[in-house]
Amino acid sequence: MLGLAWTPPMIAFLVISLLILVCAIMAISFRKVIYMALAIGGVFLGCAAVYILLGAEFVGAAQILIYAGAITILIMFAIMLTNHEAEEPPAAWSVRNIAAAVGCVLLGVTLYAVIRSQSWPHGAAGADVNQGQSNPVAVGLALFQHYTVPFELVSLLLIVALVGAVILAQERKEDE
Amino acid sequence: MWDWQNASPLTGLNFVAMVVGAVVVLAIGLGVVTYTIYAERKVIGWMQGRIGPNRVGPFGLLQSIADIVKLLIKEDVVPERADRVLFLLAPVIAFIPSFMVLAVIPFSARHPFTANLAVGALYYIALSAITIHGVMLGGWASNNKYALIGGMRSAAQMLSYEVPLGLSLVGVILMAGSLNLNDIVEAQARSGWWYIVPQFLGFCVFLVAATAELNRTPFDLPEAESELVAGYHVEYTGFRFAFFMLTEYLYLFAMGGLMATLFLGGWTGPWLPGWLWFAIKVFAFIFFQFWLRATMPRIRVDQLMSFSWKVLLPLALLNLVVTAVLKAFLS
Repeated sequence: MLGLAWTPPMIAFLVISLLILVCAIMAISFRKVIYMALAIGGVFLGCAAVYILLGAEFVGAAQILIYAGAITILIMFAIMLTNHEAEEPPAAWSVRNIAAAVGCVLLGVTLYAVIRSQSWPHGAAGADVNQGQSNPVAVGLALFQHYTVPFELVSLLLIVALVGAVILAQERKEDE
Repeated sequence: MWDWQNASPLTGLNFVAMVVGAVVVLAIGLGVVTYTIYAERKVIGWMQGRIGPNRVGPFGLLQSIADIVKLLIKEDVVPERADRVLFLLAPVIAFIPSFMVLAVIPFSARHPFTANLAVGALYYIALSAITIHGVMLGGWASNNKYALIGGMRSAAQMLSYEVPLGLSLVGVILMAGSLNLNDIVEAQARSGWWYIVPQFLGFCVFLVAATAELNRTPFDLPEAESELVAGYHVEYTGFRFAFFMLTEYLYLFAMGGLMATLFLGGWTGPWLPGWLWFAIKVFAFIFFQFWLRATMPRIRVDQLMSFSWKVLLPLALLNLVVTAVLKAFLS
């Protein structure tokens, strides 16, 4: 049916993607900001489930730890420390909103066209992405053998961002 | 059928076995929680020169069960000005991860109900972060200033102590060379010593951070009844309150299991069967928490955060660096 192989992982994938889409739609249709934060947390969790389904357990766990855990909590902290009853005004058709909607549709059409025009590699369904090792070992070997320099550069970028955030926060405090 | 850890758990009978395993673990968890609460009241009673519960059943053994029944049949009150949906959802969000983390704890040598997950330790840390959402949303949705302060305190505390907790595990993971909790137990059995000996600094950091993560004395600020009425669950009654308590005690059990696995050799030990060794080690951790509760006063809120970031985190990093250097030079 539909040219899909109806294996249990495929059914699980369809269920998970349905949940992700439902959460994503809820995230943009809720009026209360705190509900949006919770729905985004649902999207993050769903993405983690997809990663785990694909055999990338490490990325899945990191996704839960960083996105569903830390980032959603940060969003909630920001909401709670600001306005208790934060609500979005109901949507209205202004020029800006119409332009944004047209832009979104164009972006969606472009993305769809690009994705369909690619010829994706067809791996065997049972192919082992981890090449016989456990997933964290495979990730570690790839990071420290093939991608050592980019990895170190990314860590440098993170340190710069961290120091920058500290300096920005400190300046704000001195102004007050 | 019972080999679902290594085959795909999504196919055929493996799926059934996985569901059966989850139900069995839930039953074990509920039983442990029931008698942890009884033991806590009894032990603290003895430490304070009291008798403790002794009325319901022989030696008061049915006291917790009577309490649970009472909580389950109580009226489920939702405050009028509360955010109804979040108020109802928060205990569920808090509870589910506390049960899910039990999936990777290896209870015994032959583990039909333990997921052989390659990222077990990371999985535990990641999921326990989700509980913070439930606590925070529960405090926020109650629309009560004490609940809100308790929820914020709890979220800030659990988030900051999760960092040293995670870093204190990395030393053990480096020594074992695996994130899989089953492999860590076997690596300890092979190396001939429990990791509490070479990783003593990491163990100390873990113990303090775990106590804070569990919101237990001396870090029980989120539930400081004398200053916050009760904290984030002040508006909760009946079985929703029971869910928050269940979450807390399930985490106590799970954290004991994690500590036994990482630092005390898990189910390994001479003479006795593996599951009994595991139970003894977990109970030692739980008893230690009771003992702390009967002994220590509460830490001050302004000391709490600086202790995590300025004492525990540098110690955990030092432990990590020393372990990495020693491992590189000795092997």
